[in-house]
Amino acid sequence: MAEPLIRIENVVKQYTRDTQVLTVLDGLSLEVDKGEFVALMGPSGSGKTTLLNLIAGIDRPTSGRILVGADEVSSMSEGALAKWRSENVGFIFQLYNLVPVLTAFENVELPLLLTRLSKAERKKQAETALAVVALSDRLDHYPRQLSGGQEQRVAIARAIATDPALLVADEPTGDLDSKSGEEILVLLERLHSEFGKTIVMVTHDPKAAARAHRLVHLDKGVLKEDVRAKGEKGEIGVAAAAAIAAGK
Amino acid sequence: MKFVPYVFRSLFRKKTRSILTIASIVLPFFVICVLGTLLMALDADTSGGKGMYRLVVRHKVSLGNAIPEAYRERIAQLPGVKDVTILNWFGGQYRDNRPENMFARFGCEPESLLRIFDEVTIVEGKAADWTSDRSGALVGERLMKRYGWKIGDKFVLKGDIFPINLELTVRAVFRGSDETGVYFDRKAVEEGLPLVKGQVGTFWIKAESADAAQRLPRAVDAMFENSSAPTKTETEKEFQNGFVSMLGNVKAVVTGISTAIALVILLISANTMAMAARERVTEIAVLRTLGFGKPLILTLILAESLLLSATGAFVGLGLFRIAFPVLKEGLLNSPMAGFAAGMQLFPEVLMTGVGITLLVGLVAGIVPAIRSAQRSIPDGLRQVG
Ligand SMILES: Nc1ncnc2c1ncn2[C@@H]1O[C@H](COP(=O)(O)OP(=O)(O)O)[C@@H](O)[C@H]1O
Ligand SMILES: [Mg+2]
Repeated sequence: MAEPLIRIENVVKQYTRDTQVLTVLDGLSLEVDKGEFVALMGPSGSGKTTLLNLIAGIDRPTSGRILVGADEVSSMSEGALAKWRSENVGFIFQLYNLVPVLTAFENVELPLLLTRLSKAERKKQAETALAVVALSDRLDHYPRQLSGGQEQRVAIARAIATDPALLVADEPTGDLDSKSGEEILVLLERLHSEFGKTIVMVTHDPKAAARAHRLVHLDKGVLKEDVRAKGEKGEIGVAAAAAIAAGK
Repeated sequence: MKFVPYVFRSLFRKKTRSILTIASIVLPFFVICVLGTLLMALDADTSGGKGMYRLVVRHKVSLGNAIPEAYRERIAQLPGVKDVTILNWFGGQYRDNRPENMFARFGCEPESLLRIFDEVTIVEGKAADWTSDRSGALVGERLMKRYGWKIGDKFVLKGDIFPINLELTVRAVFRGSDETGVYFDRKAVEEGLPLVKGQVGTFWIKAESADAAQRLPRAVDAMFENSSAPTKTETEKEFQNGFVSMLGNVKAVVTGISTAIALVILLISANTMAMAARERVTEIAVLRTLGFGKPLILTLILAESLLLSATGAFVGLGLFRIAFPVLKEGLLNSPMAGFAAGMQLFPEVLMTGVGITLLVGLVAGIVPAIRSAQRSIPDGLRQVG
């Protein structure tokens, strides 16, 4: 039995605007095992990003508990949470969100600046991360000198620079053409299988979801479906993902 | 320290804007320095401490009214008075009335003048040649240079208030605070215009002590209070400053306008810096996602805007140092020479300028810094662009 890395217990997330209360997540519970590759699907506005933010510790639930490993993320102080994020989570955004004035290398080095590593160690680690995403020849390029796919690969290198156990990705292929998107998916798959990363990925795209080994379907703040691929190393498969996305 | 490259790159992420911002910091800095220097110069002592003991007696109503020469005896008898001399404004014109041909022209009492203004040095010719020649002129070093005069040269002052033409010979050249003046024996005027005999524009007193200098103005004025020509006695500094303010209450007007200009420009640069931070809401949210804490982000943004304003102050300082001698030279050759002589690179003025500039940088940086740190991370990430 694999042990759970993420435990979401009865989480409610509400936004209050004036007197109106908007319930985005409505008593959601979910467990993600260590080493799982989970795709999170669901219509726009169903609360996917919100859930991802809660898991990554950049947002807090209105009620309920979220545990990642032994840490109760939902009750940490803001400062402790920042430190926790820098050590335990890598975040991959739809729009890459690289710092435009820094080179690829410097962007990847950014999270390492928060560690106690020496300059030489930081350099080694950032270069290793960039080698993993096959961008060793672009260290000194600025984001504007890179293609979208390359930018996203730099962003992935930044996410894995500190070697966190958990990677969260919010529609990482949403802004890419299908070929670049495919490269990103292959890369995520490798991070999962070769480096043992636990990955939670939000996506609209059945082809992207098909790469995952488990598919969680969210609708109006509740879990609608939770499908695991059969077999240890299997993938969900495009047909199954498309069927789930279509809500069947 | 390892964050320094990030701060520097961020600073120049939009070069044009950063340069404009720095320019908008340099400008008020410059205004503050010029203004502060002028105001400080008003209070500066250019006589090496000697002016402290000098008092000026004039007619209570205005400088245009004369007082009787007979006052001299009575003033000289007052306890604490060491010496007395006479200075009469002559006016008139040299060549024409254009501003570049304006300089101070005084009828004086040569021997006592040199005693009372003993910080003045004769650098060419001999004092005795001047004091013994009724139509001799003692000329400031700067004026000599302006007209290319040499000892023995003759020039004519055409009278206006005093309708008489004076033909004077340069006998000696002096170095002092106002080096654009011409001084000649007042008897030269009296001889040609018997009407003005016995009339004095100002008496200059040298007091024996600082104590006496404080006491004497009241004593002198009390003595002539009920006469036909009551007097107003003040220190040399008060007298000079009164002169400057006569030129149109420069001090207040200049201060007011310049402060307003400086403030407006400071607001503009503060706004530019705030805009720069606002544009980076997403980036700040990303940094925080990576684990950058609020204190670190605040520090980075503040460092950035401080660096920006420090650069502005630094450039301003350099420009002011370059401009200062030009400015001073220009004023020294103008009718304001008397008080331009007190101009220097006052450290307190420069420090005030740097201080104000850094403060603006701090204030301009702190508001957006706190605001973007206060915002929740998901909110910051949601804002695209
Ligand atoms: N800060 C907020 N204030 C109010 N409503 C919000 C806020 N953030 C998200 N929402 C709302 O929560 C719902 C879910 O948003 P989100 O998690 O981004 O959905 P998804 O990523 O699945 O498209 C949406 O209806 C959105 O408008
Ligand atoms: Mg979303």
